[in-house]
Amino acid sequence: MNQIHTVGTSHHTAPLDFREKLAFSETQILQAFPLLKEQYHFQEAVILSTCNRVEVYATSDVAGEGVPLLDFLTAYHRIDPQTLKKFTYTHQDEDAVRHLFDVSASLDSMVVGEPQILGQVKEAYDTALASGASGQTLNRLFSKAISVGKRVRTETNIASGAVSIGFAAVELAKKIFQSLKNKTVAIVGAGEMSELTAQHLVENGASKVIVANRTFERAVEIAEKFDGIPLAYDESLSFLVDADIVISSTDAPHYLIQRKPLAEVMKKRKHRHMFLIDIAVPRDIDPQVGKMENAFLYNIDDLEAVVASNLKGRQREAEIAGRIVEEEAIGFYSQLQLLKVTPTIKALNRQFQGVVERELQACFKKADLSSEQQALVQSMTQAIVKKLLHQPTKNLRQKTNDVDSEHVQYIRALRDLFALEDVENRTETEDQT
Amino acid sequence: MEFLFLLTLLIYLAASILHALFLTTGISRISEGAFWATTMGFALHTILIALRWIGQGQFPMAHWLDSISFLAWAIILIYLGIAYMTRMRALGVFVVPAAFAAILIAYALPQDAPGLPADLQNYWLLSHTTLIFLSYAAFIAAFGFGVMYLIEEKKLRRKAQTLIHDHFPSLGSSDEIGHRCMVVGVILLTLGIIIGAVWTKYARELEWRWLDSKIIFTFATWLIYVIQIGIRQVLGWRGRKAAYSAIIGFAAILCTYAGVNLFLPSIHAF
Repeated sequence: MNQIHTVGTSHHTAPLDFREKLAFSETQILQAFPLLKEQYHFQEAVILSTCNRVEVYATSDVAGEGVPLLDFLTAYHRIDPQTLKKFTYTHQDEDAVRHLFDVSASLDSMVVGEPQILGQVKEAYDTALASGASGQTLNRLFSKAISVGKRVRTETNIASGAVSIGFAAVELAKKIFQSLKNKTVAIVGAGEMSELTAQHLVENGASKVIVANRTFERAVEIAEKFDGIPLAYDESLSFLVDADIVISSTDAPHYLIQRKPLAEVMKKRKHRHMFLIDIAVPRDIDPQVGKMENAFLYNIDDLEAVVASNLKGRQREAEIAGRIVEEEAIGFYSQLQLLKVTPTIKALNRQFQGVVERELQACFKKADLSSEQQALVQSMTQAIVKKLLHQPTKNLRQKTNDVDSEHVQYIRALRDLFALEDVENRTETEDQT
Repeated sequence: MEFLFLLTLLIYLAASILHALFLTTGISRISEGAFWATTMGFALHTILIALRWIGQGQFPMAHWLDSISFLAWAIILIYLGIAYMTRMRALGVFVVPAAFAAILIAYALPQDAPGLPADLQNYWLLSHTTLIFLSYAAFIAAFGFGVMYLIEEKKLRRKAQTLIHDHFPSLGSSDEIGHRCMVVGVILLTLGIIIGAVWTKYARELEWRWLDSKIIFTFATWLIYVIQIGIRQVLGWRGRKAAYSAIIGFAAILCTYAGVNLFLPSIHAF
């Protein structure tokens, strides 16, 4: 029987310093494939290594829990087996399928619905495919996992809603402005968060950045990063006339942007909408500004509330996504069972041989043949069975090598036509005895 | 006719439901469905009006019920235009159910078509009324965008969590498209008024009747929009102020259209 095994570690089960030890670089992955095949007798392998998880998927003919995979990891990374056991999880067959689907659907990610993991799964699969490490089972498993990941993202809102302050600002800006194109972003003060937010806005279309700072040199420094324009800060706020989006994060102890001067600015810009983002603590912008017409003020708490609500929304969607994954995993696994050609061919052979055997016995009873003649007839009938089954068997095996599931229909038809359903189970129990 | 009417009603109803579904789910396939259902309803509606035109032997405008149906037709036309150009469907949530109700009223109620005097039956009348109805439709669209603007602005100010997940247009879009609807409306209305005046003066050789109640109300309406557009350019009356103007203008249209039709004497029976 062809079994799917997986061993992995992720942010759920292990701290970063352990995950680092277990990580595979691209070259290491390519090194590991032949090892897995030759030393550990796996038939196929795919290795997924990201900053949040390291997982090895492999198929083997040998039944049993994921011990050889653990051995491989212990040996390859020279890790104490006890520690490895403590921080890793292992799955077999249907559980392994379900786990990979969970991963590709981003249900197992630190931030549910994050987009990167699907690409990482695809990359891991492509690497294995290109080096010939994966075969029919894992090829099917990973193509399916990628399509499940896509399905979950289109059929649920799992990936919707910003889950960082910067993206929350972008989403709000898109609710205020018709488009971010030709919009000007003003950074007041400095700080990683405000630069990151500005970066997101620029990536989403904002075309101009102006930077105002009490020290002009600092303004020049930040402006360079955005190809922006440095401006000297002044009390009248006149530098805000062209600004559509204002991101403020200074360490000023008082309100820098007050209602009265801003009202003058709004008049000068003919009351075109202005979105003000105050990420400073203590705050930079007078809360009264939020009451001005066509000015919209969000502070750090407001943005964090948006993020928190989006995360909650994703959790709700994750339940729906979980049901999709479950359904797909069951469907895929039962199809995989069907895919197994060898048992079908064996069963078919056995059935034919059985018929021949019974007919021969009946014939030998009636006709008086010498043992030599009996042997001759027997070998002839066996040759006939072999020759009759040769072409269909060959075709069937060939069909299995294609990734598309056309041959499932062949197998199903064969089982139906020859009533093979029960035969397989019987043969398995016979094999074991 | 009976069958066609029911079919049109049904399709508009389906389109209304699809629009509402889109607004709650945001699924783009539903929004496409809503758009196409509306287009189909509009096509049937057009046939319905054409049949009535042929049946009555004159442009179906004599009775206020007919004019309601035509107004609904004009609104859907404007909406389809906006939806096609901007890919925005939220307006349909207001407009399509309104059209559904309008043709339900227009064709379900019994009506006694009085017919217009023969000298009023010509292309002047046709262009005069069509232009003015299209301008009404544009103003109603502006009203819809104004309402959406105010809803969305309120959510932004309250920092409502539902804000990001709804599918209303952004404030800037509602404001800008609403403004354009007003401009288009004013142009159409101006043309309609000019044609009406010229026709009265030269074609029918009548004195202008300035004191006709409909004409007065129409001028008042025209003025509201022209003032709003002017102040927007000069002083930047946009956003909430523009939305309020669109709503006041809409109220004025209601007075002009329904109030005068039903309660005040006028040569404009429609």
